[in-house]
Amino acid sequence: MINFLFLVTLLIYLAASIFQTLSFAIGNRSGAAVIRPTIERVAFWGTTIGFAFLTLFIVLWWLQQGHFPMTHWTDSTAFFAWAITLIYLIIVRLTHLRTLGSFVMPVAFIAILISYSFATHTAALPEPLQNYWLLAHTTLIFLAYAAFIAAFGFGLMYLITERKIRQKTDALLDNLLPSLGTSDELGYRCTILGVILLTMGVIVGSLWTQYIRDVPWRWLDAKVISTLVTWFIYVAQIGIRQFWGWHGRRAAYAAILGFVAVLCTYVGVDLFLDSMHTYR
Amino acid sequence: MNQIVSVGTSHHVAPIEFRERLAFSEEQLTESLQCLRESDQVQEAVIISTCNRVEIYAVANSVRNADAAAKILVEFLSDYHQIDVGSLKKWSYVHHNLETIQHLFRVTSSLDSMVVGESQILGQIKAAYDFSRASGSTGPVLNRLFTKTFSVGKRIRSETTITTGAVSISYAAVELAKKIFNTLEGKTVAIIGAGEMSELTAKHLVANGVSNVIVANRTYERAVKIAEKFNGTPFAYDSDLDFLIDADIVISSTNAPDYLIKRRSLANIMRKRKHRYMFLIDIAVPRDIEPDVSKIDSAFLYNIDDLEAVVASNLKDRQHEAVRAEQIVTEEAKRFYDQLQIFQVNPTIKALHQQFREVADTELQACFYKATLSDQQEAAVASMAQAIVKKLLHHPMQNLRCAVNDGDADHGQYVQALQELFALDVSDENPE
Repeated sequence: MINFLFLVTLLIYLAASIFQTLSFAIGNRSGAAVIRPTIERVAFWGTTIGFAFLTLFIVLWWLQQGHFPMTHWTDSTAFFAWAITLIYLIIVRLTHLRTLGSFVMPVAFIAILISYSFATHTAALPEPLQNYWLLAHTTLIFLAYAAFIAAFGFGLMYLITERKIRQKTDALLDNLLPSLGTSDELGYRCTILGVILLTMGVIVGSLWTQYIRDVPWRWLDAKVISTLVTWFIYVAQIGIRQFWGWHGRRAAYAAILGFVAVLCTYVGVDLFLDSMHTYR
Repeated sequence: MNQIVSVGTSHHVAPIEFRERLAFSEEQLTESLQCLRESDQVQEAVIISTCNRVEIYAVANSVRNADAAAKILVEFLSDYHQIDVGSLKKWSYVHHNLETIQHLFRVTSSLDSMVVGESQILGQIKAAYDFSRASGSTGPVLNRLFTKTFSVGKRIRSETTITTGAVSISYAAVELAKKIFNTLEGKTVAIIGAGEMSELTAKHLVANGVSNVIVANRTYERAVKIAEKFNGTPFAYDSDLDFLIDADIVISSTNAPDYLIKRRSLANIMRKRKHRYMFLIDIAVPRDIEPDVSKIDSAFLYNIDDLEAVVASNLKDRQHEAVRAEQIVTEEAKRFYDQLQIFQVNPTIKALHQQFREVADTELQACFYKATLSDQQEAAVASMAQAIVKKLLHHPMQNLRCAVNDGDADHGQYVQALQELFALDVSDENPE
């Protein structure tokens, strides 16, 4: 039952990602003007329904496990996709910029795909970790990741628009992307949001260490260091922007760099380095 | 029988050097319209004179006079502007009737414009028509024609998308600015130098939310003069370009032979304005802004060719809309032409009927006076007379209407012949 639900969720996410990408790809070509609104609507509502299904899946999984599911790639990536979609839906709610989905939904889909491919694996969570600290810590961190991925999406949107403007001839043909100023500003806000969430997540995590007695803890953990590096990349971005006025293309590149850092922290550390935080 | 004739030239057939010699100023228009009206062959006239075209629309009162009228128009232009008839014929076109109607519809719908779908032409033609009408040179035919052309223009604008998006250089600039800034509200535009295009662009920008205008000129007086139009801040610049620190959008159109804004100086300015975006529009030839400026991160530079290329690519995208618009024009022109024919033939038909009836009535009265008939007999004779009139007129009228509906060019001659043979008085054919 729960596996079937997960499969359905996966398929909805696949469809939503395809439609999201499609609605952007066909752009405002004169022939597409008639069908594009429909595609866009399907993409957005697909995303919303997919999100509802995913939420249901996570809740059921939680009940089945008896604790917040954050033990393996299965839980972790599903939750990652959930966080990305949540942040996306909030941004759409606030800005009406559905186009962002063309950039972040494929990431969410890949996360769910990974999750699904590990669906049979579960790992036991050590008893001392089964508490609300885990919930708070991971939720904050994943929402921060999701905000950074939204910033990454805005960065890509910025770069595409900028390229069109600099190339000149096609500058006005495609009206789906927001203006440079808008992409830049929203990307920056997402970065700030991400930094706040990440900071809170790290603080919660480090406080948590004070309460754990039975699990060995070391500060020089690969995940911790990697997270601090990521944190620093984003904080530096905000600082440089405030003091030197760096924005636009540089900010977009920085958002992409940050995205890579997030991936390294989230995936890379697990695969290649030894850490306390591994999902194995 | 009225004929619509037009003589004109446009950017399609003539270079600017020729067009500018043909252009009419406002005073010249008044004078010319009066001059045209005085000639016997021309009944009505409208002169359109814009930077891309000069056209005279005229109505001649007979087929015979149509060619004569066209000739008069050409000769008039040649005399008035001191251009020899040969080169005038080479660089201009003459249209008759349906062709004329179609041409005017195309022009008004901006299908004949340099930038298809541009919105200025409708207003320009309206102004030209209003001017001609106010000076009393239009009549029932041109009044109908121009009223129709405006409604056709509106129909095309609402049923096709040829006018959506940036279809002129100044609008392209506004659209681009909207692509760069998240809002135009609170932004500042700086106009350097003077020129119609830069002022027009600034006007569009202000209409779209830009709140401050800086007008920079070599001489302060000139800056003040232009600044007044925008409620802007005048500025006399020398080599110091510091006024650009506050400018988000810069439109440059000076006559300076060298680059006015160089990469290095702009980089300094960008630093001072904390690298906020700057959109630079260089519409001067020779250029005012060093092309390398576009290598500065937050600076976006478009020169006149770039803007034209943007417009061209927009237009290419909408080319098939223009095809639909052409279909509407053809259909509307045909319909209008038919209506106009019927409208013009009707008075003659009416007059002929009336004449016949009057003859019959007169003869009936004479008959009744001579012979004493019973009421019943009188009624029978009267209805016979009416039947004869009807039957006699049946074939000629039917053939005339057929000729009109088939678009037969000879019907004008029929009408003319009828009017002359029967000495018809159709002077009251102007119901408007």
